[in-house]
Amino acid sequence: MHKQGVPDFPYYVGIKSLAEVATREDRVCVLNILGTESSTVTPISHEFSGGNVVFGTSPGRSGKVLETKLGPIPVYNSVREGIEAGHKFNTAVIYLPPAAVKDGVAEVVRWNPDLKKIVIITEKVSVKDSRTIRAICQTNGVDVFGANCLGVADSWNRVRIGGALGGSRPQESLVKGSIAIYSNSGNFTTTIAVYLLTKGWGTTTCISSGKDVYIHFGPREFFYALDNDDRSKGAVLYIEPGGYYEYGLKINKPTVACVVGRWKAKLTKACGHAGSLAGSGDDAAAKERWFMEYFEVDGIYTPENPIYSKKGAVVTNIAHIPEALTKVMEANGIEPDFEPRGDLSLKCWFSNTQGIPLPEELDLPVVEAIPPYNEQIAIVNRQVGAQFPRQSMKNASGASMMDPKTQVTKLHNVSILDATKYPFESNLVFSLVKEHPDEYKRGLANIAFNAFVNMHGDPALLAADAAREAENSPNTVITSAVSILGKGRVKGAIEAISTLLELFQYKKIQDIAGPFDYDEILREVKEEDKEKLLTSERDEIAERMLKAMDRLEGDSVFIRLCRDIAEREDKYLKADTLLAAIWLTLGWWSLMHKKISKATLISLPWYSRLFSTVVGASVPSSKHTPTSFCGIDLDELMTWSFTETAFFALIGRKPTPEELFEFQVLLALIISNGPGTISAQGAKGAVSADGPENPARVQINKAFAGFLTHTGYAHGGNGYEAIEFLLEIFKDKGLKDPGSPDHGLDLKKIATDYATWYLDYKKKQKEIGNIEYKKIPCVGHPVFKGKDVNVDPREEFVSKLLKERGSYNIFLDFYHNLVRALFETGVTRNVFCVNVDAVIAVILLKAVWNLYRDGKLTEKDIESAAFTTFLFGRMIGCAAEIDDHTNRGRDMDMRTPASECTFVG
Amino acid sequence: MQLTGLLWGSKLLKYVDFPCAEVLGPEASVDEIKALIAKHGEVFIKPIFKGGVGKKGKSGLIGRAKNIETALKEKERLYFVEHTDGIHRVKADGVTFEGGVPAKYEVYFSITESTVYRTSTMTITHHGGVDIEELPKDLIKVVPFDPLTGLKSYHIANALEDLKAPAEIISPLVQNLPKLWDLYNNYGMITLELNPIRMMPLPNGRLLPVACDFKCAFDIDDPSWKRLGLPPHLFASDYSEFEQEINKLRTYQGQSDVFVINEKGTITAFTFGGGANALVTELLGDLATISSDFGGNPPYDKMHQIAKIVLKYWLDQTNVLFIIGGKANNTDIFETFRAIADALREYFNTHGPRPIFVVIGRGGPNLIRGMAYMRDTLDALGVPYKMFGHDSAMSEVVNYAKKINDWMEREGRELIKAKLLGTPEAAL
Repeated sequence: MHKQGVPDFPYYVGIKSLAEVATREDRVCVLNILGTESSTVTPISHEFSGGNVVFGTSPGRSGKVLETKLGPIPVYNSVREGIEAGHKFNTAVIYLPPAAVKDGVAEVVRWNPDLKKIVIITEKVSVKDSRTIRAICQTNGVDVFGANCLGVADSWNRVRIGGALGGSRPQESLVKGSIAIYSNSGNFTTTIAVYLLTKGWGTTTCISSGKDVYIHFGPREFFYALDNDDRSKGAVLYIEPGGYYEYGLKINKPTVACVVGRWKAKLTKACGHAGSLAGSGDDAAAKERWFMEYFEVDGIYTPENPIYSKKGAVVTNIAHIPEALTKVMEANGIEPDFEPRGDLSLKCWFSNTQGIPLPEELDLPVVEAIPPYNEQIAIVNRQVGAQFPRQSMKNASGASMMDPKTQVTKLHNVSILDATKYPFESNLVFSLVKEHPDEYKRGLANIAFNAFVNMHGDPALLAADAAREAENSPNTVITSAVSILGKGRVKGAIEAISTLLELFQYKKIQDIAGPFDYDEILREVKEEDKEKLLTSERDEIAERMLKAMDRLEGDSVFIRLCRDIAEREDKYLKADTLLAAIWLTLGWWSLMHKKISKATLISLPWYSRLFSTVVGASVPSSKHTPTSFCGIDLDELMTWSFTETAFFALIGRKPTPEELFEFQVLLALIISNGPGTISAQGAKGAVSADGPENPARVQINKAFAGFLTHTGYAHGGNGYEAIEFLLEIFKDKGLKDPGSPDHGLDLKKIATDYATWYLDYKKKQKEIGNIEYKKIPCVGHPVFKGKDVNVDPREEFVSKLLKERGSYNIFLDFYHNLVRALFETGVTRNVFCVNVDAVIAVILLKAVWNLYRDGKLTEKDIESAAFTTFLFGRMIGCAAEIDDHTNRGRDMDMRTPASECTFVG
Repeated sequence: MQLTGLLWGSKLLKYVDFPCAEVLGPEASVDEIKALIAKHGEVFIKPIFKGGVGKKGKSGLIGRAKNIETALKEKERLYFVEHTDGIHRVKADGVTFEGGVPAKYEVYFSITESTVYRTSTMTITHHGGVDIEELPKDLIKVVPFDPLTGLKSYHIANALEDLKAPAEIISPLVQNLPKLWDLYNNYGMITLELNPIRMMPLPNGRLLPVACDFKCAFDIDDPSWKRLGLPPHLFASDYSEFEQEINKLRTYQGQSDVFVINEKGTITAFTFGGGANALVTELLGDLATISSDFGGNPPYDKMHQIAKIVLKYWLDQTNVLFIIGGKANNTDIFETFRAIADALREYFNTHGPRPIFVVIGRGGPNLIRGMAYMRDTLDALGVPYKMFGHDSAMSEVVNYAKKINDWMEREGRELIKAKLLGTPEAAL
């Protein structure tokens, strides 16, 4: 039983003409008006339509309103309450959750005898409820659009009812014209309207039909109403497989039907639209055929093969709709509504190939976006540097990560094994800017580090001396020095880099070595800026730096500009200015590519001075003079790599190339063991306590102190255990050159003798119940175990690397003999691995062996050198953690809640 | 979500007291099978398929045995038998033993939703036991009826009368078939088919309709099927592990529809909108890992969860991570892009970088903020990308993604891998 509507249908249809679908006279009630989606969409619809929503419902929220630019929309508990308050409406829009949709329909039909149309936006309404809804509305004479649709709109009437057709700017898409749109896809209703503009076609009525199993307002009803709408000269349909809604249509106006979904025949369940799953005779191919018969064409329209008739065309790609429609309309003598607006060619708005060469035809250039997006892009492009979301960084890191399987730690996604291929100074730069410097930039980094390693007359050095004299461990000594290097000590450099950044940040310079006309910048430089960069007095360190820079092959626009300003003003550059210009050069690429934040860039000179201080303060003040460091003339020192400087500071002599490489490997291996290590925790704790949410408050030198004080004889100083063990083995063996394979020692015998002794020792200790007996350092690993022959892949990697360079190390050779001997004598059940800590010990011992043999270094000196080496390497990883926590962390996030703490008294 | 066969069908039919052939499951002992043969004279051995299996009538998938030896031989033959219907292949997991039902008449009966009539319809013929499509139209009666009042006895009586069915079958069917509407209507079904219903003579001479096969499909959007207490594993084969994980997030706010297209695909597309889903699925074909629709303005948390799952399953093999949709009407681009970008960053942080290229085509509210967030994330991760606005034809963006995929296969993947892993060679 159905109510009588338009007589031409065997079921109820109330709408005679498309002009009636969405009119200015329609008055709307929105069910669940305060829901998340409705409260965003309804005000825009209301405003676009001249204020057509009379009230909404939201059970329990009677008395509230939904604010719009045209005034508030009242909210009632129910439809009955709204009607009793005197509101009248003919259209209901339903935003209820799926299970409530059927009841909503029943409610609005029951209480409003004037109801003519219902638009159901909700998706995932069950089939059962849909058939019930249809039955209710058929009985009561109500047209239904949806469910799972975006509603209806009329570009002539400037009305949209229901969902968000045209999004937040309906006027952009719903442009008055002569084409009616009927689409199974809500999104494509708007997308097609926008596409039509590119060929000069506007729209009349746009219907998003939904594509559930039940479509209540089907194509048959659409075409009937199209015929009765004088405004509409043609139509576009977007149709998907499933259902017989398009079968047996009578189409009397020129039409383009887009049928998409041939591939969907392979699907065994619905994906996307619930009703878009075909049975045996209603798949996409069948629907294409139906439309081809209506239009009397024998194929699909494509730009290459345009098949169409006066009646219409079938396309399978929505991008072909505008062209096909234009051809069909042309055949009917109908001109487009207006001049074409835009086109559909590929227009790239954002692009970055990250320096990877893309074939020319794929590397589409960025073009200016259409208004208003071009202005929005200009605004976001002015944002400089990365912005990291803040979160609790306790036990978390955005810098380092240890792979539990391989035990290899990565810093900024580069494994410490790969880091061994880079010099110390490169890894220091990398820790902060996340990119390894090229040769020129590495040269600049060396200048920045070496310029400040000599601390003659610096109170920080005196503090370190005092700490050293008080017999503190190396980490404590260095802590004393870095504690003095507070923000006040680096203020000049921070001001200088801030000034330079201010001048350059929006210039988008891609190639800092290339030509760049900075005349405009020179004009912009204010007097107070010049004061920050220049000095009237000669700056000795600056002159030394400039001289060293002249020797480098390469160029930096930032350094060039600084020199130009100084020349024009006839003044001298400050060392702080050059330090700032160097670090702006080192960090520029990362800043522009949003790998680092502005806060990080501005802090770089501070980190740089701290790196210099850690190395400088490891040497007593007696070796710092006004003209030399460790006896090396300061001008000459500026030609050294920082790796060489660090080696010299530790060992007291310049390394051979082989030693230099081994030292580089050694430092890289120590970089990090992830954020859980005590040193990292100390660094992170110090940042957390300063409150990283205000990054300017974080005291980076204090964070270094946090790292340094969280190392000690057990963490960092323990590397000496292996050296002590090896010294014990080799001290009386007359070893001359640990780097020569012709050492003349029988390592296998030495190892077997030791293993035999150890077996006996271990047995005896167990017999007397001593479970704390001496363990052999650097043998075995809790992860790399259980096989017949075990290998620590990190040790294997380094051994191979050294071997490839022809580098021999007797101590490492001994270790490999030892693990085998331990197995053969029965001390171990299988061949244990030589772990990575052994590598660290053997490299250092090899470097100091001759000095030790000659009595120039004591065992105590070697212990101190081993510990200090650890500090040098680990400061790379800890600097990265400090910067990472500053950028990502929350105030006090390292705190452990009291509930997780235990009392053991 | 489909069920086929009497093993579970008989349990459902019991809810409405519809007679059903006696059935034993795969665990039936030799003695039980012997007893069933003794009672019914013969047994039919049918493979158990989970989910939908398409047409299987003439595929030799039914064994018939009058003694235990044949029954066991047929069991062995059919226990893990494979059946192909079109491009879909299914494998049996067990067999049922169904007691023979002697009958002179076989009836086909089904209830489903009709898009022709836009209401529920009954289809009936007394020439059942064969594929319904093979029968001439005049031997079948399709009857639409009002779902508010349901399937009534008179619908059946009138239909059988129109079909000129033998008088002796009309009364038993009129009495029993309306019960099936209760099963269909109350438990969230969208298709229910019994073929054949065998009209078994009772000692008093009356005929009893006995269901000898069962097929039904449930509406995933109707939770009523849960009332039946069916074990979830029955539908497990309908959904891959990935699909099941995503389906847990299925709520009405924001779509989360996924379908695994090709487990070896190399383009993973986050598609927004049912229309975009159809178009993108069409154009990508087998290159796609999944077909998806995440439109409908999903909130951040849901989109983030979805993105994490998608990346977990597919990123490793992906060349092109593709985000594609038209000009969104109400989906907040900033929220959805932020959710995907965060999930990608978390993936890289946990599993390390992957050599991928990101292609995006999108429009909608907060578009530029969303694109900028994605740009910043990809820049920080070192992932190359191209983003297109909604004024680029969606199909062209899809074609561009395919071309990038080709290039990735040729050399791009290796180039990006070298760059992302930061090898010294790549850094130079």
